[in-house]
Amino acid sequence: MTIPWTTRVGRGALRLPSRAVHLWRRSLQFRTVVTSMALSGVAIILVGIYMSLSISNDLFNSRLTQVLGESQRASAAAQRIFDSAVTTDRAAVQSVMNAARQSIRDSTSSALVAVYRVPGQSISPLAPQDFASSELTGGVITPSLRSSVQKSNDQQYWQSVQLPAHDALVPGVVVGSLLTIPGVGQYELYIGYDFEQSEQTLRFIQQVLLVAGFGLLVMVGGVAWFVSRIIVSPVRLAADTSEQLAAGNLEVRIPEKGEDVVATLARSFNHMADSMQRQLTELADLSVMQQRFVSDVSHELRTPLTTIKLAADVLYNQRAEFDQTTRRTSELLNAQVLRFEKLLGDLLEISRYDAGSVELESEPTNVAGLVQDVVGTMTTLAEQHGCDLSLSAPGGHFEADIDPRRIRRILTNLIGNAIEHGERKPIEVEVDSNATAVAISVRDHGVGMEPEQLESVFSRFWRADPSRQRTLGGTGLGLAISLEDTRIHQGQLDVWAAPGQGARFRLTIPRDRKVPIGSSPLPLEPRDVKADGGER
Amino acid sequence: MNARILVVDDDSALAEMVGIVLGSEGFDATYCADGSEALAAFTAAKPDLVLLDLMLPGIDGIEVCTQIRAVSGVPIIMLTAKGETTDVVAGLEAGADDYMVKPFNPSELVARIRTRLRTPVVAASGSSLRIGDLSIDIEGHEVTRAGKAINLTPLEFNLLTALALNPAQVFTREMLLEQVWGYQYKADTRLVNVHVQRLRSKVEIDPDNPTVVSTVRGIGYRAGAVI
Repeated sequence: MTIPWTTRVGRGALRLPSRAVHLWRRSLQFRTVVTSMALSGVAIILVGIYMSLSISNDLFNSRLTQVLGESQRASAAAQRIFDSAVTTDRAAVQSVMNAARQSIRDSTSSALVAVYRVPGQSISPLAPQDFASSELTGGVITPSLRSSVQKSNDQQYWQSVQLPAHDALVPGVVVGSLLTIPGVGQYELYIGYDFEQSEQTLRFIQQVLLVAGFGLLVMVGGVAWFVSRIIVSPVRLAADTSEQLAAGNLEVRIPEKGEDVVATLARSFNHMADSMQRQLTELADLSVMQQRFVSDVSHELRTPLTTIKLAADVLYNQRAEFDQTTRRTSELLNAQVLRFEKLLGDLLEISRYDAGSVELESEPTNVAGLVQDVVGTMTTLAEQHGCDLSLSAPGGHFEADIDPRRIRRILTNLIGNAIEHGERKPIEVEVDSNATAVAISVRDHGVGMEPEQLESVFSRFWRADPSRQRTLGGTGLGLAISLEDTRIHQGQLDVWAAPGQGARFRLTIPRDRKVPIGSSPLPLEPRDVKADGGER
Repeated sequence: MNARILVVDDDSALAEMVGIVLGSEGFDATYCADGSEALAAFTAAKPDLVLLDLMLPGIDGIEVCTQIRAVSGVPIIMLTAKGETTDVVAGLEAGADDYMVKPFNPSELVARIRTRLRTPVVAASGSSLRIGDLSIDIEGHEVTRAGKAINLTPLEFNLLTALALNPAQVFTREMLLEQVWGYQYKADTRLVNVHVQRLRSKVEIDPDNPTVVSTVRGIGYRAGAVI
């Protein structure tokens, strides 16, 4: 059981930095807090180091002054004892020396004393023995200090040393001075002082500084969190509100409080929202007006057109009884009334799309079946124009939820265009499907189009070649309507064309309008062209 | 005797032109230009069929349609300039049998009128049929449940008979459009949907759980309860 637990901890530890990175990127507040804590931390460390250094310096100096004073006094007291003593025999000298030692011990806080006879003097039989406290032996008093003391004249010399105490070394100083025993010679006096007390004080102060610094850092973090919250909350509220506004809830506003910059932001935001709402409402009104206009035009134009159409038809049916001029007139009238009717129908359809009043009337429809049906209907027309119309349907044999009327209209239009521009060459219709979409393509081998013509192929009333005759009587709105019919299915209508190689239109519609098309089941570029390669 | 057709349209030129077309096809046309006078004109003329414009002064065509349906099952063909979903469905739900979107062909108009005036040709399987718990007397043009007559319009009667004549057959909407409405090509399947609903509201005991005309999901309709 231990291993999974460790693994989990390991993974948790791995996940933590990535979570922090995520937070850093996502949360302005987190970033503010972390930044201010880091910067304050650096400042606190710098101040702490400075304080610690100056305090330790000050502690050392005051202790040193105290120590030097003590040592001075001790040395003076010892010298006075020597000066007033009678030093005639060795025992007297030794007892004076002992008295001096006692006096030194009494007048100073340290018990670490060493007395050495200055070397190089004439040997005196009275000279008392050197002695040293055990702590001051073993190289604590360096030769350089000794030589400085030996050359001195009533001057104190000191040196920082490590003094052994309680099985450890503690920092301290050794102060050296010169004593003169009349009639005997010069002696070096060394007194050791440990600085353990100062060291402890310094350590305590450093600890206090550390704790205080850490506490300060936490407080800075808290303050930064609180302050950034004051700033970030209104911004977050504004962000949430704009999100809601963008989602279409035009009624939302930011509460305006106070006179500060945040209140100004709220006011300008609300102002913007008001203006947006007003304009959208105006647009919606315009759209309703346009729809009503379309509806009115529809009625007003269609009723007289119906009368004209009926009249033209009655005349057309009796044309055999007319003379040639009147007969031709009635034929022209009939043909143009049909064209007018078609144009009006297309115009109304595109206006309905513009007004946004088109609704999809979808039902489950077998796509391949629908295409086959349309191809069957168009075959006669294709034959009349000398085109061979063929269908290949490797896919699409399922019920898709589409508006069959609109898909039929797109296909009829695409095949009609192919017949018109196909120059009596074969027209190939393909149907295929994949997991997300079903595609239908219509390929002709006619005149094709220049690349710059491709851009305007879906434009209203655009003609590929204005000099070409419209044999099938297109209105110029066919592809524009097809594009709208495709869009309302959430589909795509693409075109490929090359001069002299014909054109290929590809309609791709999603199987389910809620699931976006992954890729079209059919390539846009015809396979035969791809094989030729460089000809394009 | 020629069939009488009442043309209710406020556009006098169109009404006259429709009259000329109808006259040349052997129908007698009478006219009414105001929605509020349409019912009076209907009672006076006793037409065999009504051509009804949807947009009328006075009261609109949908209301006129409801008024006529309240007193008679005479075939009504709406003339609509819009072809918009709501108008068409509202007209059909008010009881119109069929609709034509302006501008229409004269030949199409005449063909549609003839279909509506024609009595369905019944197979020689007998003069009486059963569908669910209903009996249909084809010659008497009468539908009864437990001896009690149910009042159907000629269109509803034709629709019910078409289903009852082939109880094993599932009819697609397109098949019904061809058999009952006389459409040779793809037409508006809402015609079928709306009229099946109207028929059910008359013949079903519980229209939400139909037992006479049942829906076959994704295909169409058939006679009898769901199997």
